[in-house]
Amino acid sequence: MTAPLRQRGPSDDPAPGSSADPVPEPSAGTSFGPAAAPPPVRELRRRLRAGRRRHHPEALTELLGDLYMLLLGAVIYGAMFLSGAPAQWRALTGTGDPAARSWLALAALLAGTGLLWQALRAVGPLLAGPATLSWVLSAPVDRRAWLRPRFAGLVAAAAALAAVLAVCVTVAGGRTDGTELVVTGITGAVYGVALAGLGVVAQTQPRRRWPRLSAPILMGAGAVVALVVVGADLARVPISPIALPLTAVLLGLGLPAAVAAVVIGLRRLHRLDRIALSSGAGLANALLVSAMSLDPGQLVALVESRRNRRTGKIRGRRLRPAGRWWLLLQADLVRLTRRPGALLAFAALLLAQYALALALPSLAGPAQVVGAYLAGGRFTAGLSQISRTPALRRMLGGPDWLLRLVHLVLPAAAAGLFWLLTVPVGAALSAEWTPAVLIGMVVAVYRSGSRPPMNYGGAYAVTPMGMIPVDLLRQIFRGWDVLIGVALLVLLLG
Amino acid sequence: MALLEVRALTRRFGERIVLDAIDFDIEAGRIAALVGPNGSGKSTLLRCVAGADRADDGEVRLNGRILDETHPEVREAVAVGLDDIDFFADLSVAEHLELISFAHGGRDRDGVDRVITEFGLQPARDQLPATLSSGQRRRLALASCFVRPRRLLVLDEPEQRLDTAGLSRLATRLLAEKEAGVAVLMASHDADLVAAVADERIELGE
Repeated sequence: MTAPLRQRGPSDDPAPGSSADPVPEPSAGTSFGPAAAPPPVRELRRRLRAGRRRHHPEALTELLGDLYMLLLGAVIYGAMFLSGAPAQWRALTGTGDPAARSWLALAALLAGTGLLWQALRAVGPLLAGPATLSWVLSAPVDRRAWLRPRFAGLVAAAAALAAVLAVCVTVAGGRTDGTELVVTGITGAVYGVALAGLGVVAQTQPRRRWPRLSAPILMGAGAVVALVVVGADLARVPISPIALPLTAVLLGLGLPAAVAAVVIGLRRLHRLDRIALSSGAGLANALLVSAMSLDPGQLVALVESRRNRRTGKIRGRRLRPAGRWWLLLQADLVRLTRRPGALLAFAALLLAQYALALALPSLAGPAQVVGAYLAGGRFTAGLSQISRTPALRRMLGGPDWLLRLVHLVLPAAAAGLFWLLTVPVGAALSAEWTPAVLIGMVVAVYRSGSRPPMNYGGAYAVTPMGMIPVDLLRQIFRGWDVLIGVALLVLLLG
Repeated sequence: MALLEVRALTRRFGERIVLDAIDFDIEAGRIAALVGPNGSGKSTLLRCVAGADRADDGEVRLNGRILDETHPEVREAVAVGLDDIDFFADLSVAEHLELISFAHGGRDRDGVDRVITEFGLQPARDQLPATLSSGQRRRLALASCFVRPRRLLVLDEPEQRLDTAGLSRLATRLLAEKEAGVAVLMASHDADLVAAVADERIELGE
């Protein structure tokens, strides 16, 4: 501000009207004297907490209860994983090429980092709730001081999660040496801190290109490494394993990056604007609700709505005059042209199948079934819309089964094409079993794509995780039920 | 010099241009009303001015300087009443208003009480947000702009869900703000309210 113009708050307002008049005159008025300084963040936070506890006194016990349940789950499932994973890994990886596997692990790390980066940027990573934004951060309080504990929590959570993930991957890889696990855990923690810290730095620089470009570059690099390894195998060119220990390289590069990211992130916290602090809140909330209710519907709807919003406007295409079913099929094809991500995902799944066949050959058969299911699933947008909206079906006319059948053509073709393109690295099936497996796969794709809307009004099942709507279980397992059967069949036949 | 200057403000969603190089100024003590049909970009423009959305091009200046919401001076000067406001589920009406007043350096509860009375929230002052009607929530959102310092008031359809008495109070309040030297930028579909208070009409979507 060029001039120190200030306006008075309510404390400076004139006295209200007479007691006979219950509605005082508006108390606006601009005095350009100095306004009172905003309170220290600690005081404001204390006041907010005190107010909230007055109406919700058991908040702390609830939090501790939730934490206890989380820790209990982590201990039980972690112990089960640690006791079974090394033996499983040895059974699965007996025949894989160790050199290819080390390069493919690097490719997976690069692509996984790219995906994580994209996910981090989509949810924030640093968020402020909409109420906090409206009632606290809209005031001239010290934003850096307010956000510092959140930043510390984010960094700590990222470090803990990445450390646990790194240890799990190492154990799953058949390595159980204590020192190695500690080093891997520290490396994972450093990686997590660097990623979270850089995520916040990126959040403060919304106009810069590096945050936007990092994910495609990392994923592209992972894809290139995987392509080279797969290409070398197809051309029967031998490759050497990675000479440097991956953990040491990650630790050497990650430690300075993590320190720099945390320092810069802390220094730039006050530059996080309202948009940066709120844009991921919707997605984070939908993610939380979907995870808590086991219903991905809200998350999927939000992602779709954001994608459509980004697209904004499309060029309408005139469908070629033809029979009604051919028109519907054309519309499904047009829909595909507006979702180029589906084609990209199809290509990535193809590459993943070839890479997996090289690294874990004993899993190639079931992986081909799952890959075809996922590939077909990328093309079920039309089928999903038709199945979820009775009004749309009424509008289009004709029997429901025929509408669904027309919208199954594209996903079934995609699943079939995936199968065809991965025959050299897929399940070794005899000619008489192949049609049965293919039909099973298409049925799985159909069941997944034709999920009806969620019905919370039906019966509830008592489970170890509490009461769960029966319809929710049906939603979760629809598609996967058939797929698991087909994958088991392929495993047995293989 | 104008208090608020908007220059060549442009906002696109994909290929769709919602705001196309919008220019206008507002001086202190003046009210500008954004008018136009649904989808003409009124709320988007207000969000860009308030720092709740990022324009693709152009600039917004407050008192001659680029309006940057991360500066405490800007947050002190600009009171925003958009429809994205949310409430703490476990704070009462009065506690919300006391909190925002306190966060702006206010120490006197009487001022908050006056605004509560003025916006007809007295019967609901100890209620939690979940128990409020949509009109009461709207009035609470509006009241939040008046228990704190302000030099620029940004309001998105403030007349929404207000009854006749509420509308009348709103008009009186806006005129008082103008009198006190506050600049107001508001979007409205209420032709009577615009005619009663606005000094300028900014037509969008023509």
